[in-house]
Amino acid sequence: MKVLAAGVVPLLLVLHWRHGAGSPLPITPVNATCAIRHPCHNNLMNQIRSQLAQLNGSANALFILYYTAQGEPFPNNLDKLCGPNVTDFPPFHANGTEKARLVELYRIVVYLGTALGNITRDQKILNPSALSLHSKLNATADILRGLLSNVLCRLCSKYHVAHVDVTYSPDTSGKDVFQKKKLGCQLLGKYKQVIGMLAQAF
Amino acid sequence: MALSEVFQTTFFLTLLSLRTYQSEVLAEHLPLTPVSLNVSSNSAHQSLHLQWTVQNLLYHQELKMVFQIQISRIETSNVIWVGNYSTTVKWNQVLHWSWESELPLECATHFVRIKSAVDDARFHEPNFWSNWSSWEEVNVQDSLGQDILFVFPKDKLVEEGANVTICYVSRNIQNNVSCYWEGKQIYGEQLDPHVSVFHLSSVPFIRKTGADVYCEVSQGSVSKGIKGIVLFVSKVLEEPKDFSCETQDFKTLHCTWDPGVDTALGWSKQPSQSYTLFESFSGEKKLCTHKNWCNWQITQDSQETYNLTLIAENYLRKRSVNILFNLTHRVYPMNPFSVNFENVNATNAKMTWKVHSMKKDFTYLCQIELYGEGKMMQYNVSIKVNGEYFLSELEPATEYMAQVRCADASHFRKWSQWSGQNFTTLEAAPSEAPDVWRNVNSEPGSHIVTLFWKPLSKWHAKGKILFYNVVVENLDKLSRPELHSVPAPAKITKLTLDQRSYRIWVTASNSVGTSPASVIVISADPENQEVEEERIADTEGGFSLSWKPQPGDVVGYVVDWCDHPQYTLCDLQWKNVGPNATSTVISTDAFRPGVRYNFRIYGLSTKRIACLLEKKTGYSQELAPSDNPHVLVDKLTSHSFTLSWKYYSTESQPGFIQGYHVYLKSKARQCHPRFEKAILSDGSECCKYKIDNPEEKALIVDNLKPKSFYEFFVTPFTSAGEGPNATFTKVTTPDEHSSMLIYILLPMFFCFLLIMIVCYLKSQWIKETCYPDIPDPYKSSILSLIKFKEKPHLTIMNVSDCIPDAIEVVSKPEGTKIQFRKSLTETELTKPNYLYLLPTEKNYSGPGPFICFENLTYNQAASDSGSCGHVPVPLKLPPSQLGLMISPENVQKALEKNYMNSLGEISAGETSLNYVSQLALPMSGDKDSLPTNPVEPPHCSEYKRQMAVPLCLASPSPTENTSLSSITLLNPGEHYH
Repeated sequence: MKVLAAGVVPLLLVLHWRHGAGSPLPITPVNATCAIRHPCHNNLMNQIRSQLAQLNGSANALFILYYTAQGEPFPNNLDKLCGPNVTDFPPFHANGTEKARLVELYRIVVYLGTALGNITRDQKILNPSALSLHSKLNATADILRGLLSNVLCRLCSKYHVAHVDVTYSPDTSGKDVFQKKKLGCQLLGKYKQVIGMLAQAF
Repeated sequence: MALSEVFQTTFFLTLLSLRTYQSEVLAEHLPLTPVSLNVSSNSAHQSLHLQWTVQNLLYHQELKMVFQIQISRIETSNVIWVGNYSTTVKWNQVLHWSWESELPLECATHFVRIKSAVDDARFHEPNFWSNWSSWEEVNVQDSLGQDILFVFPKDKLVEEGANVTICYVSRNIQNNVSCYWEGKQIYGEQLDPHVSVFHLSSVPFIRKTGADVYCEVSQGSVSKGIKGIVLFVSKVLEEPKDFSCETQDFKTLHCTWDPGVDTALGWSKQPSQSYTLFESFSGEKKLCTHKNWCNWQITQDSQETYNLTLIAENYLRKRSVNILFNLTHRVYPMNPFSVNFENVNATNAKMTWKVHSMKKDFTYLCQIELYGEGKMMQYNVSIKVNGEYFLSELEPATEYMAQVRCADASHFRKWSQWSGQNFTTLEAAPSEAPDVWRNVNSEPGSHIVTLFWKPLSKWHAKGKILFYNVVVENLDKLSRPELHSVPAPAKITKLTLDQRSYRIWVTASNSVGTSPASVIVISADPENQEVEEERIADTEGGFSLSWKPQPGDVVGYVVDWCDHPQYTLCDLQWKNVGPNATSTVISTDAFRPGVRYNFRIYGLSTKRIACLLEKKTGYSQELAPSDNPHVLVDKLTSHSFTLSWKYYSTESQPGFIQGYHVYLKSKARQCHPRFEKAILSDGSECCKYKIDNPEEKALIVDNLKPKSFYEFFVTPFTSAGEGPNATFTKVTTPDEHSSMLIYILLPMFFCFLLIMIVCYLKSQWIKETCYPDIPDPYKSSILSLIKFKEKPHLTIMNVSDCIPDAIEVVSKPEGTKIQFRKSLTETELTKPNYLYLLPTEKNYSGPGPFICFENLTYNQAASDSGSCGHVPVPLKLPPSQLGLMISPENVQKALEKNYMNSLGEISAGETSLNYVSQLALPMSGDKDSLPTNPVEPPHCSEYKRQMAVPLCLASPSPTENTSLSSITLLNPGEHYH
């Protein structure tokens, strides 16, 4: 529980720093007004595209860095240990409307944010000397936070969507070390796959 | 009242005895059975935890009991462990006991039962066991879930070298499961159809983040997934080494140790081992914050003995090391401080220092080390608080370094660190006279005396020498001595003295005083230069010199030489030798191979007058000559020549020149007399002549052949070899008869010169006789005659009036040699006929009969060309060019340079060919008309007579219909008339 309090909860609070954040939120009616503390940029979509491209550019390197740091058997059994078999990952439909796509993107980014938080916490304990991996994980989490903020701004300013139901990645704090390593690897494999698709879709 | 008290007492005693009896009976006859057995499991520690109580114990009764515990695996009959557990049991007490399984509990069902017996000395009868409790089952598998595969134990922490049992639980027995330990497959034994067990023995430490064991479940060739565990293998905790404690102030004990390997593991599975100090006498304990040192506060002055235990501990092991010591034996003093020097003079100084106070009556043993002059001296001294030591027998003007360290004088354990300081002693007066020598050059009326002295050694200088005093005293004339003060570090001074005897004192002075004087006397007589020079050789790194002793009393001998004789400042050196010596060896690192060293040996009389005894010269190592002489060839005749190299210096060579080799090459196979055959370094043969006298610097090479080619090469040689290889010089002997030619050629030359002079003087006559001038028509006398007759038509021919390039046939000759003339006469007999010299484009078809005329007057150059005066003219000229040429203007221009013969020379009525004009070649500016097909000059016919015919006489007027020449010359239709 301590680990949970130290890792995931602060991350979730950061990701949902707005008033009322912290619990799954229903989609608001279209005509509902959004209360955003800061004005949104005009070129939000460009920023979103840019952030997605940035994430897509670094996803593979992060994935490689991760499984290399785990040691055997991970590097030689990527398909079995790091396959993107994440069952509860939020779906994405590239042929949907921009609004639908943004809502799905929002869910995915929230999910990935919590997953990265768990991975970062676990790796800092398990691999305290893997500084480059920690740095890369932190940098990715930073970009995800920015992306989340921009998506929310877009949803709110254009589509008046202030609340989206979200799901979080499973908490790994109670799992054994091998499972943590494996789950982290699977999540980063999924992230690499999904972020490429998202970058294409936007 | 008393009776009632007695009764009561008796009643209670009876009751008490009854009670005791009852309890004994109960213990002996009622079974004390363990009941309420509860078994729980701890998967992380792979342990079973048992709890039970003992039935039938009396209130407040304490009994020592023994419990036997049985543990079965998979089924009750499979007992895997039986053991006893003894303890004292109280009434209603819940007993606890744990058992650790080597097999993860998840992989098999375990069963536990227990029985007990009294093991108390108060019971004399033999003990009997209670009945077994019922089997308690522990089944963890049921709580695993529905996954297809489980691997255990999870995240187990073991020590390096431990044996580990790993197992997996597969839900489907159809699945094939393969397990790997760090990438290598491991094989185990099947516990039941779902469970397999692997034994890893003596596991090594792999990495701090643990080592993975994983199992892959597959059905056929299809992988269903991978499950694994991380095994954390810790390094074995080592016992701390070199544990020791010491104090510098009796307030703190500073303990240090070598911790050995760090047993920390990742995932916070195990932190670094901790260290704790425990003192058994005081019972105090301190957790150390550093891994290799810890401070222990000394609080009680009365405690002198300490028993300190250092405990190293991690999750798996505890190691300890212990030392017992008396505090006073563990003193490591702090460094001395305030090191100073007092009363420093030339030879002694007082050194003082301080030490930190420890406690009452503490005595230090201090050690002093004094470094100076490359030596070290050591002194020991005992002190209390302030230390001092008197340093004596020091050298003046010398820098010393003194350092001090201290230890406990009562119980020596360890020296403190050094504390030191530098100091310099004061100067003293120089203790010895400088070593002086001189060089005297006699000049007319004076002696140039150069005084040399060696700097005093530090030992003798006793300070910094500031200057040298040179006092010159005239021995032949009473006068005041002259004082010359030469500032240091000069080592030389020059004096000009007259030819009298002088005594010279030389002293050295520093800031404190002056050294004793060194005396030398310069005699009025010039130095004996007639001493013969003797050659010596270097032996074993030095020159061995010997001399005949000087008659009379001598105070010693001096040998002098130059270390660098090749330079002007040759660095004069000298060596003083005792009066009884007659030989010495001069050896110095300054000697170089190939340098000639000259030694002079002087005897010093009692009056300090130096007398040159002998001269020696030699090389430390002779080398081959560095250069060859420049050889001049002289007196070259047809049979001999002389080679000379008289300017070659034998003195400046890197060895004693012993002679010369003269090499001679010639075409002749045989060598000349006195020469012998030799093979050169390049393998060629030549003749060699050896000159053994180094001063013989010429050689006459004779018996040579005239007009022959010779090559020679002269090289000197020393004991080390010849001079460098160089090219041979070439000489060709002159012809024997060449002088005779001079006797013939000289008169011939004079004869020819005479003829030329005569010819020059008679040139006018020769010219008039051989080639007279051609008369100028303008200057002819006939002009005056014409004017006189007043015939205006008869004038000199005008060029513009002439028709060029046509020959007018004045009359038909009888016998013609020219073929084409016949056709002309046949066609137009009545008209003047023109023969065209330049063929037209159409009527010319290659080389054919051609006519040319010799006209030396008009075209001398052409006539000289040997082609009958005909200049090759392009035979195929374009009509336009022809037209250009034959247009009146062009023709006129072309003819402007030609002279015309006067009519007066024409004899009218002669039957002949009359030359009318010559057409000049096209000008160079007409590029298009350059000949493209020059043709060979054809056969020529000649004419002997030539004349210019005025148009008015030779042809009709141009205005008349007589333009035949033009019509015939040009192609009609393309050109104009």
